[in-house]
Amino acid sequence: MTATSSLEDDSIKPSMETSAPSRWPSRAKRRKDPIIVERGSKAHLGMITIGLIMAVGVITMGAGAGQFQQSQLTQVMIFAIAIVGLNIATGYTGLVSVGHSAFFGLGAYTTGILIVNYGWFPLQTIPVALVVCFIAGLIVGLPSIRIRGLYLAIVTLAFGVAFPEIINRFQSLTGGAFGLTIRMRQLAPPGWTGYGVNEEGKWLYWLSLVVLIVVMVVAHNLVRNRWGLALMATRDHEIAASSCGVNVAVVKTVAFGVSGALAGVGGSLFAMYLGSLVANDSFTLLLAISLLTGLVIGGEGTRFGPILGGLAVVYVPYYTSSWGQGESAAVIFGALLIILVFVAPEGITGAAFRLIHRWVRVVPRTPQPFVRPDQPSHLPLKKGTVA
Amino acid sequence: MSIFLTYLITGITSGAIYALMALALVVVFRSSSTINFAQGEFALFCCYIAWWLTTKGWPIAAALVVAMAVGFIMGVLAERFLVRPVRRRNEVATLIVGIGLFTALNGADGWIWGPADKTFPQLLPDGARDYVNIAGARLHYDSIGILLSLIVVVGVLMLLFQKTPLGLQMRAVATNPESSALSGVKVGRVLSASWGISAAIGAFAGVLLIPVLPPNQLDLSSFFNILIMASAAALFGGLDSVKGAVVGGLGLGVAESMLNGYVTFLGGSLQLTIALMLIVIVLVFKPTGVFGARRIERV
Repeated sequence: MTATSSLEDDSIKPSMETSAPSRWPSRAKRRKDPIIVERGSKAHLGMITIGLIMAVGVITMGAGAGQFQQSQLTQVMIFAIAIVGLNIATGYTGLVSVGHSAFFGLGAYTTGILIVNYGWFPLQTIPVALVVCFIAGLIVGLPSIRIRGLYLAIVTLAFGVAFPEIINRFQSLTGGAFGLTIRMRQLAPPGWTGYGVNEEGKWLYWLSLVVLIVVMVVAHNLVRNRWGLALMATRDHEIAASSCGVNVAVVKTVAFGVSGALAGVGGSLFAMYLGSLVANDSFTLLLAISLLTGLVIGGEGTRFGPILGGLAVVYVPYYTSSWGQGESAAVIFGALLIILVFVAPEGITGAAFRLIHRWVRVVPRTPQPFVRPDQPSHLPLKKGTVA
Repeated sequence: MSIFLTYLITGITSGAIYALMALALVVVFRSSSTINFAQGEFALFCCYIAWWLTTKGWPIAAALVVAMAVGFIMGVLAERFLVRPVRRRNEVATLIVGIGLFTALNGADGWIWGPADKTFPQLLPDGARDYVNIAGARLHYDSIGILLSLIVVVGVLMLLFQKTPLGLQMRAVATNPESSALSGVKVGRVLSASWGISAAIGAFAGVLLIPVLPPNQLDLSSFFNILIMASAAALFGGLDSVKGAVVGGLGLGVAESMLNGYVTFLGGSLQLTIALMLIVIVLVFKPTGVFGARRIERV
């Protein structure tokens, strides 16, 4: 699963992909060669523009949708934010977490407590939730320095299961099993937005959208710089990574911290969305499994997988709630997890990209030698010049 | 003194339950070096089968036998068709399959039998008068029964591992699958058998423990906590040691009961957090467990 999940990152190992057709010459002859699109060329920019126009279309459709559909879309985006976070740890660093519901819940409770007990404005609580969950992520990620795979999964699983218990223990702060209710008035949109108190749904829709975009850009930049390479190297071969100078301990811990922080931001929005928090209902192990399922369905280690995952986490239970005494979603998620491991380990996004690569392939631009106008072209380039 | 004994007995009873489930985890780990995340849900499914049979008028003892048989078959099928094909790929894939089984089985139980709690019939006598008085503390018969079953399961496992050809083959596969395959051991069959045995132990433990452990009813989340406790116990013993799992399970049970009894500021509601702490401490300071064999990994 890990080896194929970087399919999307075609620029990182283009040589492997372009050499693929030559291995099966007969098949390559039968099929038309894929159209090669250079990164940064006009065709590529056109593709990006079409994608952007489609995205803007979907967003405006969502903005004009009815209250119920819009709240569902908000929920999709909130879960997508959390799954982007999970993706950093599980998809890119290979640290499987079965306890991200706890970070999600921690973010939600941070927001809830700050609003209810201390009278903060909802927006102000998001950075606090981020920091709190980052620290919690660092702490939970600490064991990952010494332990791997299955063992770390047990630790996160225990963390996820223990979370509601801890919340209920601190009843005076969290409301315990009775829950924590945030009043509508406290969740009112800020004045500068121009939305009234009863237009909270619209405000939350735009807020979630902005946060989702910010989080996705952050995640994109994170995985495309050298730090992201360190994450993926750690995932693919820890020992090789450390012998190349990657500080595996720091990378794993910080990755878990960032992952927890992003999930916490999702949770913070979820608190505003839900308005009332009950740990025993909302932040159980099943939520953690839903998030993980969403990630696997969307595609581990892909940048757009989390959105598909969010859609699945919200809409699969919604459309199947009438079957099987309300339990069919769990069966479908479980079956999907198993089927995907066999059929498409890279998730739907990965599979789609693999399919698209048959026809269209985006390659990095061929490097052009940089030649000074006054430099005689027959002279060999000096050492240190760009070529 | 009698209060202390009461806490001790409560602790040993729940500890024996954790130890039984931990043994199920150990049997799988010993042969295939993975943790079966769906272990608890296998047991839950078997419990539902047993419950369903008793509603049809079966005696609980017969239902137990059927549940164990169903467990064995489930274990074998899951290993053969779901785990074995992905095992060679990597650990994460095995993990995801386990989590998928976990979710799917849990949902299937709810789908078939409904999400409402079920009153589970007693296998062991638990009447108000069914106890032995030890220095003022009551040792109930069902506690004795659970301890005895733990002893029986440990005895059978010991016999299996030490005295039977299958046990020898299991140990060989655990040590080195390739070499044992070359010596004529049917590795796949041994792996399937160990998964089956493990699931059967889980079913046995489940039917015993549901009426004993609070809330004394069968519901969909019955095994979440038990799985965590059992993992903590098994990890304490290094995941591959029968002795370690038993000591870990009993120790965890007693520690939990004592902490709840005497350290009252914990309020008796942080059992899972204690298990979490234990797991983290064991893994960070002694990843091979207290009884585990040191594993040497080749780079």
